[in-house]
Amino acid sequence: MAVQILEIIIFPGFLFLTVFAMIAEYLDRILYARFQNRKGPPWFQPFADFIKLVAKEDIVPECANPFVFKLMPILALASVITASFYIPMWDNKALFSFEGDIIVIVYLLTIPTISFFLGGWYSRSLYATIGAMRNLTQLFAYEVPLFLAILSPAILAHTWSLSEMTVFFNNHLWLLPFNIIGFAVALIALLGKLEKVPFDIPEAETEIVAGSFTEYSGRLLAFFRMAIDIEMVVGASLVAAVFLPFGLGLNPVLGFILYILKVVFVIFLLALLRSVFARLRIEQMMDFCWKYLAPAAFLQIVVCVILKGVLL
Amino acid sequence: MSKLTIPIGPQHPALKEPECFIITVDGERICEANMRLGYNHRGIEKRCEEITYIQSAYLIERVCGICSHSHSTAFIQAVEEIAGLEVPKRGLYIRTLFGELERIHSHLLWLGVAGHEIGFDTLLMYSWRDREIVMDILAMVSGNRVNYGMNSIGGVKRDISPEQADAILKAMDDLEERTKYYIELGLQETTLIKRLSGAGSISYEDATRLGAVGPTARASKVDQDVRRDDPYAAYAELEFNVITDDHNDVYGRTLVRLGELMESYKLVRQLIKNMPDGPIRKKGPRKIPAGEAISRYEAPRGEDVHYVKANGTDKAFRVKVRAPTLANLSAVSKMLEGDYLADVPIVIAAIDPCFSCTDRMAVRNIRGGATEMHNPGSLRNFSIDWYRRRGIDFTDLNKKLMKRLERV
Amino acid sequence: MANEEAIKKELEEKFDFLKDKIIIPRERRLFTEPVEIEDFLKAIEYAASKMDFDILTTITGLDEGESIVAIYHLARKDGTMLNLKSKTPKENPVMKTISNLFNGAVFYERELVDMLGVQMEGLPEGKRYPLPDDWPEGQYPLRKEWKREMLDAKP
Repeated sequence: MAVQILEIIIFPGFLFLTVFAMIAEYLDRILYARFQNRKGPPWFQPFADFIKLVAKEDIVPECANPFVFKLMPILALASVITASFYIPMWDNKALFSFEGDIIVIVYLLTIPTISFFLGGWYSRSLYATIGAMRNLTQLFAYEVPLFLAILSPAILAHTWSLSEMTVFFNNHLWLLPFNIIGFAVALIALLGKLEKVPFDIPEAETEIVAGSFTEYSGRLLAFFRMAIDIEMVVGASLVAAVFLPFGLGLNPVLGFILYILKVVFVIFLLALLRSVFARLRIEQMMDFCWKYLAPAAFLQIVVCVILKGVLL
Repeated sequence: MSKLTIPIGPQHPALKEPECFIITVDGERICEANMRLGYNHRGIEKRCEEITYIQSAYLIERVCGICSHSHSTAFIQAVEEIAGLEVPKRGLYIRTLFGELERIHSHLLWLGVAGHEIGFDTLLMYSWRDREIVMDILAMVSGNRVNYGMNSIGGVKRDISPEQADAILKAMDDLEERTKYYIELGLQETTLIKRLSGAGSISYEDATRLGAVGPTARASKVDQDVRRDDPYAAYAELEFNVITDDHNDVYGRTLVRLGELMESYKLVRQLIKNMPDGPIRKKGPRKIPAGEAISRYEAPRGEDVHYVKANGTDKAFRVKVRAPTLANLSAVSKMLEGDYLADVPIVIAAIDPCFSCTDRMAVRNIRGGATEMHNPGSLRNFSIDWYRRRGIDFTDLNKKLMKRLERV
Repeated sequence: MANEEAIKKELEEKFDFLKDKIIIPRERRLFTEPVEIEDFLKAIEYAASKMDFDILTTITGLDEGESIVAIYHLARKDGTMLNLKSKTPKENPVMKTISNLFNGAVFYERELVDMLGVQMEGLPEGKRYPLPDDWPEGQYPLRKEWKREMLDAKP
């Protein structure tokens, strides 16, 4: 019990994730900057930003519902951290796992978006309201392809547990290339989830200031940002665990290094994608997700079902 | 969902200057767009009636930070016309050269801003990096990155040496190569085309009816360019094409500006190649005889119009400035109707608005509830005071200047 | 200059009140002397609809002491500019809008209203331009008697 609590709080739980998330944010920013021919921030920038924000005053707008307004950042943070406990990172086994945990992970990763929506909606500012509406609209666009893309390998592996899935794929490594469509779909959907260009529509700075986060300041904003950073790491870990599950369970040290490399690779792809696109409009994004992304995810399922019928 | 009214401005990340657009949206669609202008009114026209022509030339240059040379040229042209001054050829060529360099820097600036407005920051970073090339050229020749101070009544103040001419030609080669890359990008990049085409559409009829000018009008197939229609400075002797486009939308405006960049490189090369020798300026009179003149100038943003009326003294009787943005603003409301909220920033940015140009007041300083009114003199004292409190003393310099002013 | 002379001739033939009141200072430029508002409206309508002067570049307001003069700078595609002037007494400056002829004229007319205190008949409702909403009433900055100190004086 004591060991488990320690695991949750320090490693690989809260503390490790926080530090890793900040490093991930730094990596994302420096890569983005280098792609744009800029110098980029120094390594401690995310930490400095966090410390500065935490030191600032929290301002709750008069019209806002203070309870919901203050609860949402914490809820977002809690749910992404909880999600990470179910993802096998460098071992075949996650911290916790049970048959069906893959559903729980996807569900837990949806909560931050819902909390952005509620936080924005209850702050009662015009820009935040519009940002909140966009959050929700966008959720309906990317969530289905993401879900389908992550479920199709599960069909292949015939299990609803992410840990068991990685065991299965480690025994059948040659099956991994067949999931490539799903990998691409998941990456693009992840951009939507993380609200990064081209899908940063809910917080489009030039249109609606900062969307849902317009009224947030100080600690609350710091928590939100932290939640987004951790969401990026957890999302990348999820994609890595589902689509790149090789090398798990060999050796803790080697597995750990491999895990970091995988996450960095996913972050690299995310940064690359967001530096080559312009922001889409919300209706263009809906169009794209339902016309191209969801059918691609369906295709992946069909591929998996056929594979399963023919080969296994 | 019921209709929402969203204020875009006076302070908003999409606008680099304070103006207020009041947008009524139904969901994501715009039903109505209104605007409130004048936040930048500085009373420059009134001030020009109180100061001499030479001082006005400097003040007029500060109407706008980006198209400063446009305004000063337009004003000085009008004054020269009233005075009947023949400007030496070389002076005219250098003036034109600066006009074109300014156009290059303005259009590259616009390209970056447009990229930022549609969330394409990579384009912003790239085009602003390249803009530094032309900024360096401007700084090398005039000593300043903006507000070059090149114009004076009767010609220009600085000559261009052969080495500088070579450096300019080399810079043009670099810029041309980069611009070709942007044109290719503009023709191929899917998300860019998706975001730009269809946004802020305005038909040929509406563009002419509402009096749109510059690249905004030319992207709706309105074939007008003061440089060709009413040639000034050295343009009558130069060869160039007027770029038009029939996309009618922001995408068309982007293509027009990119095409104009290529034309500007061509023009700069011609100007350097054909630059005649001789003096660069002729001394102008201090007192301008009575008369009136209107001067038109094709600024990067469109047609810039200056009207000057002189009454025989060394101060103008009336100076009127019409910046291109004001002409284009009527068209903006029309463009916004029926568009998406997400398109507001790019549609506004697509006319390349310059609100400082548009509004031209005495400075108000609101501190501790009391409104202080500053006139230019007290504003100067205020700045001297401000620096003194920070350990920089201008008292001696100030005294010298005062003495000189008294002598004048 | 033949082109400019032709325009001058056509206008003078059409309108008696413009006789010997058109000056051609240089190529592509025509200036008229100020005329009464009713006459002016006839002339501008004719120039806009029959003579292709379909670009209104701007309107300049002038305080000429006794009267307020507005110069309407019209332009044609070939670069020729016709500068028509209208005048109105300064005690009671009333002008009529031309926004039915030129839709883009609204801003320029509002500027006349704010800066020179002209009453513009038929101008569509809208926000003022360019002065701030709390600008003291009855102060028109571009009138010659207006000085900056007048703003500080309490009404």
